[in-house]
Amino acid sequence: MDFIVKLAEGFINLFQTGADTFIDWMGSIVPLVLMLLIAMNTLIQLVGENRINKIAQKSAGNPLLRYMVLPFLGSFMLANPMVHSLGRFMPEKYKPSYFAAAGQFAHTSNGIFPHINPAELFIFLGIASGIQQLGLPMTDLAIRYLLVGLVMNFIGGWVTDFTTSYVEKQQKVKLSKKVHVEG
Amino acid sequence: MLAMSKKVKIVKGSGGFGGPLVIGVNGKKDKVMYVTGGHKPAIVDKICEITGATAVNGFETSVPEDEIMVAVIDCGGTLRCGIYPQKGIPTVNIMATGKSGPLRQYITEEIYVSNVDVDQVSVAGEEEGAEEPSETVQQTSSEETEKETETEQKSTYSKDKKIMETRAEQENKSLLTKIGLGAGKVINTFYQAARDAVETMLHTVIPFMGFVALLIGIIQGSGIGDLFANIMSPLAGNIWGLMAIGLICSLPFLSPLLGPGGVIGQVLGTLIGVEIGKGNIPPNLALPALFAINTQNAADFIPVGLGLAEAETKTIEVGVPSVLYSRFLNGVPRVFVAWLASFGLYK
Repeated sequence: MDFIVKLAEGFINLFQTGADTFIDWMGSIVPLVLMLLIAMNTLIQLVGENRINKIAQKSAGNPLLRYMVLPFLGSFMLANPMVHSLGRFMPEKYKPSYFAAAGQFAHTSNGIFPHINPAELFIFLGIASGIQQLGLPMTDLAIRYLLVGLVMNFIGGWVTDFTTSYVEKQQKVKLSKKVHVEG
Repeated sequence: MLAMSKKVKIVKGSGGFGGPLVIGVNGKKDKVMYVTGGHKPAIVDKICEITGATAVNGFETSVPEDEIMVAVIDCGGTLRCGIYPQKGIPTVNIMATGKSGPLRQYITEEIYVSNVDVDQVSVAGEEEGAEEPSETVQQTSSEETEKETETEQKSTYSKDKKIMETRAEQENKSLLTKIGLGAGKVINTFYQAARDAVETMLHTVIPFMGFVALLIGIIQGSGIGDLFANIMSPLAGNIWGLMAIGLICSLPFLSPLLGPGGVIGQVLGTLIGVEIGKGNIPPNLALPALFAINTQNAADFIPVGLGLAEAETKTIEVGVPSVLYSRFLNGVPRVFVAWLASFGLYK
């Protein structure tokens, strides 16, 4: 009989540990993320999509703007997945590179600005919850994540320019590099 | 209606959402596009067999939207499951995903069905004529224009509108009205933002949190945790192991399969987080770990993302391998640079 009781306790314990973790997050992470989401959603509504589209049109010509400034601002303002729609202002040749950079900005900025990609927040939060458990501040990690992302995502976009040229040769096609002003 | 172009009826699988959809070839719409990371699900063949449509791998090439009869996807609930419904394209999801993700408002029973396998696909009886989604869309838009024309009639206050809306249309606004309207607009924006945010939390973040919490519970409560610690600590506990994880996740033939929903990355992240919390992995390695578990980032999403950027078919054909290669080239260096940047963190 004792054995059965022990077994049942062990079984319930599996879920009790999960439940404790869950309610801990509900009390700490959920309200914080919710407040951030509300503030960011409001800001985005007030600034409007048109302005970011204008920035996108002007960014197409310069790699630094194209793979660093625009995807960073775009992911902040339009969030995932609509940040990818700004790629329509890019010449065909640079669309894959813009995608490569923007896809990564949807994560590296997500630590501080969870509104960008709430559905995949646990890439950051999974690891950061370990940091929190140690009683260390998550923000330090989030800021370094963003800064390293800023540099490496730019390099990622820029490297894609070369891989695109390589695949162009492989497939014997040429993609247009012309910037079209009208979206 | 031609007898030869049969329609197919697709119902939801157990635990699925939406449907039943009844679809068939209609004029130009004769393509079954599947965006499932490369492999071709059996239901695609069955749908083609019944309707006579052509199968197209959306991961390799793109199809003009007006030629897609139905899109077949394997999305766990982040993006793709909403993108095609948003465009008015009937969507079949192999996974059991319901209304979720940032585009969840477009996922409705009329246009979306999930957890579909071969058994859920059958020939539809002719009497069940499918309602074309495009027609319904047109209908609603024409209704809207009617509404607009109705409300154009001029009067000081219209019964269709609140006082605030009427005031907003008047040309000569007094300063006080302007302030009032401005404040009202800001408050409404905040309120709507709050509604959207709560929706996102309820439908996207909290469900995932529940799943992850259960996972942590089982890992820690059952003793598997110690086993995991033995595997994870040497792997994620030093920079070489992290670079190895980054390398594996970025392999071009593997990365599109690891991508969907970021689920693999999120589970890996949780496992590493647990070990950091227990002190088995030094906390400063959290930074390179963030990059290591996500070198496959968005690899499954390339054709869809390029579609959002209105890329030409040619660009998508070049772009998919190109981004996969660049992810591979970047993957390990990203982890390494992140490791350099982690010096002094949590010291």
